[in-house]
Amino acid sequence: MSSSSKLNGWKSALLRHESVLLFLVLLEAFYFNAVGRNFATADNVGNIIRHSTEIGLLALVMMPIILTGGIDLSVGSLLGLCAVLFGKMCQEGGFSPLVAGGITLCIGAAAGGFNATLITWLRLPPLIVTLGTYSLFRGLAEAITKGTATYSKFPQAFLDFGNGALLGLPNQAWILLAVAMGVWLLIHQTTFGRSFRAIGFAPEGARYAGLPVERRVAMAYVLAGIVAALAAILFTARVTQARADAGIGYELLAVTAVVLGGTSIFGGTGTVHGTLLGVVAVAILSNGLSRILSISNVSRELSGMLTGALLVLALASGLLSKYIAAWRARRGVAG
Amino acid sequence: MRKLFLLITTLGLIMATGCNKPSESTNTAGSGGGKKLTIAFMPKSKGNQYFITCKNGAVKAAADLGIDLLFDGPTNTDPAKQNEIVENWITLGVDVIAVACENKEGISTALRKAQAKGIKVITFDSDSMPDARSFFVNQATATGIANVLMDTAAQLCGGEGEFAIITATLTANNMNEWRKNIDLRLKEKYPKMKLVETKPCDDQKDKAQQETANLLGAYPNLKCVMAICSPAVPGAAEAVKQAGKVGKVKVLGLGLPSENRAYVKDGVTQAVILWKVEDLGYLTIAAATALAKGELKPGATTFKAGKLGEIQLQGSDIVLGQPFVFTKENIDQFDF
Repeated sequence: MSSSSKLNGWKSALLRHESVLLFLVLLEAFYFNAVGRNFATADNVGNIIRHSTEIGLLALVMMPIILTGGIDLSVGSLLGLCAVLFGKMCQEGGFSPLVAGGITLCIGAAAGGFNATLITWLRLPPLIVTLGTYSLFRGLAEAITKGTATYSKFPQAFLDFGNGALLGLPNQAWILLAVAMGVWLLIHQTTFGRSFRAIGFAPEGARYAGLPVERRVAMAYVLAGIVAALAAILFTARVTQARADAGIGYELLAVTAVVLGGTSIFGGTGTVHGTLLGVVAVAILSNGLSRILSISNVSRELSGMLTGALLVLALASGLLSKYIAAWRARRGVAG
Repeated sequence: MRKLFLLITTLGLIMATGCNKPSESTNTAGSGGGKKLTIAFMPKSKGNQYFITCKNGAVKAAADLGIDLLFDGPTNTDPAKQNEIVENWITLGVDVIAVACENKEGISTALRKAQAKGIKVITFDSDSMPDARSFFVNQATATGIANVLMDTAAQLCGGEGEFAIITATLTANNMNEWRKNIDLRLKEKYPKMKLVETKPCDDQKDKAQQETANLLGAYPNLKCVMAICSPAVPGAAEAVKQAGKVGKVKVLGLGLPSENRAYVKDGVTQAVILWKVEDLGYLTIAAATALAKGELKPGATTFKAGKLGEIQLQGSDIVLGQPFVFTKENIDQFDF
């Protein structure tokens, strides 16, 4: 009896969404290593991490929001706004990147708080609120720069940070790792994480259970605002330039990574490591395709298409494992 | 805890597949590439007909000179994309990178990184910071283009009246340089002409059409629309046509003959001004090849560019030649 249940546990672990995704990621890595040119080099792994840091950060904070059954479409625009404000403070305000960075994080928190206020006080749907601030934040960024200003005068040390490495990994990797650990602990090791899940699963139930639903939801959006601001600073350091069009479309890439990582778009279920795997899967795909010389001319178009295919495949396989589990349970009851 | 373990194993595995075998893959690249040069060629945006024509020239040059050509570029306006593509090319191990730069300062960081790794860099169409590349393949000098545009506009308007400019983005480096020179020419030679507004169209035909329609409404005395990025010329012409102002409001601009042929023949657009775009792509690849082979060195005054013959240099600028005015009379002789 005990051995058979152990076997079942082992099988269900294999069929879990994250395991399927991990398998897909490894498959990608081995395939591109075999077929692509210079895929498995330290430099290129650095590229993959550096180029997906901002999306990764946004995905990591998008995940708790989706877990509560919400969504934040404004993070890409907020990244643009924060990049512009940060650039303006450094170039025209004479602030050091450290001070300007601190202020930018506060602005990000305030912007997240604005979203949270509209969602929790006025009880407006997150999709509508953040669709509004999606335009609002981008519009503000464009108004500040009048569409023309580009900020590129930063201290050399700041620019070096954006393109440098520590212990063989890009500087961004350590920040991404720290944020990932933080969010992982928050979601999987604290009561906050459990309350996010409860709210996404049944908001009214969570309220009757005495959870401070509004405060918890607000916390998720404020966190997203702060991390979007952090992503803006890293983006500016990497591209060595702040412009109003920074981060266009990143919100949807982040949502894609979260959903690919197995978080239900309706809320209630999902894991942080799944989200990370989702980010890695998309990042490896687009980088790997550009390393196959015979198709590199169309790799960018192909990677969009294959990301879509990957998403459908991963979700379908997740569903399949659920069906198998349900079928087993039924058979178990019948037997 | 088991999940944490899974996470760490995952990261570990990715690092392991990532970092274990740099030497092996370098070998593959070396033997696979042989002595054939690999030149990577990047437009500002991939779908733009102007850059597709550029690419056709580049493909011809690649065949003539026996090099491998890589072509990639952004498909949207994400300002980080050009940097990312360059950084991927660096690790791919190409010999020369040729770029039409969208963000002068931003791309320069990535190009300097390439130079530090021993990869030769040239720019074409729109330049980077001068220290981030060896040469800039200049389609025509800014003054050359601006003078032809302003002179043609003045000629169409009879030397007086209001005109407006449609540009790609207000940040594009080459467009701003042209704008500055158009202003200079205007002040110097045509005191009776007045530039009423400059509108960006984000390199999109639809937006150019919309902006032109707005301008036609806002300035009833407008005599001429000057579109200085290629999608804007047919866009402006369509707006003038739909407003029923054909002939009353003249249209001219920098664009491809093929995209404007119908409007030119119908008399909506009076003049299309451009260099031979295919030759720009050809010259870029020819210069890149010569640079990689050591035939083109800093300080050179001429070099031999395949079928284009001897090409002149002005400092580190490789100049393609004078712009050309396509009109109703000659437009059928060109098929790009």
